[in-house]
Amino acid sequence: MEQRLANSLIMTVNEKKFIETALLSDLRVDGRRPFDYRKLSISFGREDGSSEVQLGNTRVMGFVTGQLVQPYRDRPNEGTLAIYTEFSPMADPSFEAGRPGESAIELGRIVDRGLRESRAVDTESLCVISGKSVWAIRIDLHIIDNGGNLVDASNVAALAALSTFRRPECTLGENGQEVIVHPPEAREPLPLIIHHLPVAVTFAFIGKENVVVIDPTHHEEAVMGGSMTATLNTNGDVCAIQKAGGEGVLQSVIMQCLRIASVKAGDITSKIKSAVESYNTERSLRKIKRHNPSPAGYKH
Amino acid sequence: MAVDRADGRTPNQRRPVACTRGILHRAHGSASWAQGDTKVIAAVYGPKAGTRKNENPEKACIEVIWKPKTGQSGKPEREYEMVLKKTLQSICLLNVHPNTTTSIVIQVVNDDGALLPCAINAACAALVDAGIPLKHLAVAICCCMAEGGHILLDPSKIEEQKVKAFVYLVFPNSMVSVLPQGSLRLGGELMEHGIITSVTHGMMAVDDYFSCLKLGRAAAAELSDLLRSSLKLKAGNDPSKAG
Repeated sequence: MEQRLANSLIMTVNEKKFIETALLSDLRVDGRRPFDYRKLSISFGREDGSSEVQLGNTRVMGFVTGQLVQPYRDRPNEGTLAIYTEFSPMADPSFEAGRPGESAIELGRIVDRGLRESRAVDTESLCVISGKSVWAIRIDLHIIDNGGNLVDASNVAALAALSTFRRPECTLGENGQEVIVHPPEAREPLPLIIHHLPVAVTFAFIGKENVVVIDPTHHEEAVMGGSMTATLNTNGDVCAIQKAGGEGVLQSVIMQCLRIASVKAGDITSKIKSAVESYNTERSLRKIKRHNPSPAGYKH
Repeated sequence: MAVDRADGRTPNQRRPVACTRGILHRAHGSASWAQGDTKVIAAVYGPKAGTRKNENPEKACIEVIWKPKTGQSGKPEREYEMVLKKTLQSICLLNVHPNTTTSIVIQVVNDDGALLPCAINAACAALVDAGIPLKHLAVAICCCMAEGGHILLDPSKIEEQKVKAFVYLVFPNSMVSVLPQGSLRLGGELMEHGIITSVTHGMMAVDDYFSCLKLGRAAAAELSDLLRSSLKLKAGNDPSKAG
């Protein structure tokens, strides 16, 4: 326990006071304005359903896999969605391997609530044989680098990975009881049906004068008195709001935050959609090349 | 006789290597190593105060954490951690910082064959990026025995599953010496011909194993030249890392 505390971020009083005082003049340490996001870049791996998101210094990888399982008794027609969050020890010296800490569990719950309860992913289309065989989708989020605001980055990574994931096509066997899963070479795998993209936007409340900043860095997180995460989509729905303890905040401030969050959610959604589209074009180009007998030359 | 490999390589050709150092901001040293489609990220934190319970406090301790791409860490991950720990212990100078722990965290991004050699190479590059004192580098390569008795270098996952045996080999990197007598010799043999680690899967004849060693050594020498040039390139414009 002492080892973990010894490894966590220790800030001097000067650093804390500087962050708070600068914010009174609407200045942030990295030069942003209070409601500016850091640079968001989304890239994809070779396989379908793997994404890597970089938000400033924060880096998160998302992997989506699917498996055929028996459904839950009370929901025989629906597939399942499970989110596993790994706070890798490489992200922060205070993260320990092994059991997830409370912030890892809270992050997993926020992303889970945003996706599951808003019904962003269509689970009924994941059913193969009612009551016997459904697809269980598993999302693994690996936090690689902690530069602050892990919730937003993890959410984007989960959404990007889900948007590019493809599950194998399956048909029923002769007697209608067995499921034949077709390999990707035989039949083109199918994407998931995603109704909307719930985007999480995090606000930090620093100091006493109702100072609000969006997308805090890990230095600002060490100084903040409280934080709020709002998960919204571009249809104007609020999917989830999380404000767990911390400083009390005026209602007008909360409403202002929600208004800003809906604008930011629109920006982030369009970034995710354009990244997914370019990945899909590149994927179909790759498929065309595969059927071409290429000469014996491997690109170096 | 030409052996047809699925991606058009010759039997002695390894996949293209992409190595980048300093990719993470919080870690003291980090590197990503990709051989073809197999990609691994390694991060180093250290040296931290104190050693773990059963470790020798008079030397530095190396701790390896292996994170698979999906799923829980199980027995195969424990085995990889043990092999990596023993390999890195033999290349680090353990007496420089006694009673400290250096942690190396490995994250698998994609596994397309030769995962452990990729991880060893990534860990080595990350240790260099962190500035941990090393005796020499460890260069890892994989060789496998295909059906007709051919030896293939750097198999992909499909090739690894089809062959009857494969071996992961780790050699020290080739030495460039300023001394007139040339490279260091130990008992008449060149230092870089020593084997740091060898992990075999499946059954192969003794002669085949020696042929794999010969091929592996040549490949490791070529790979260590590539490492030398890529590490030198970065060292010139390296800004200091704060905390």
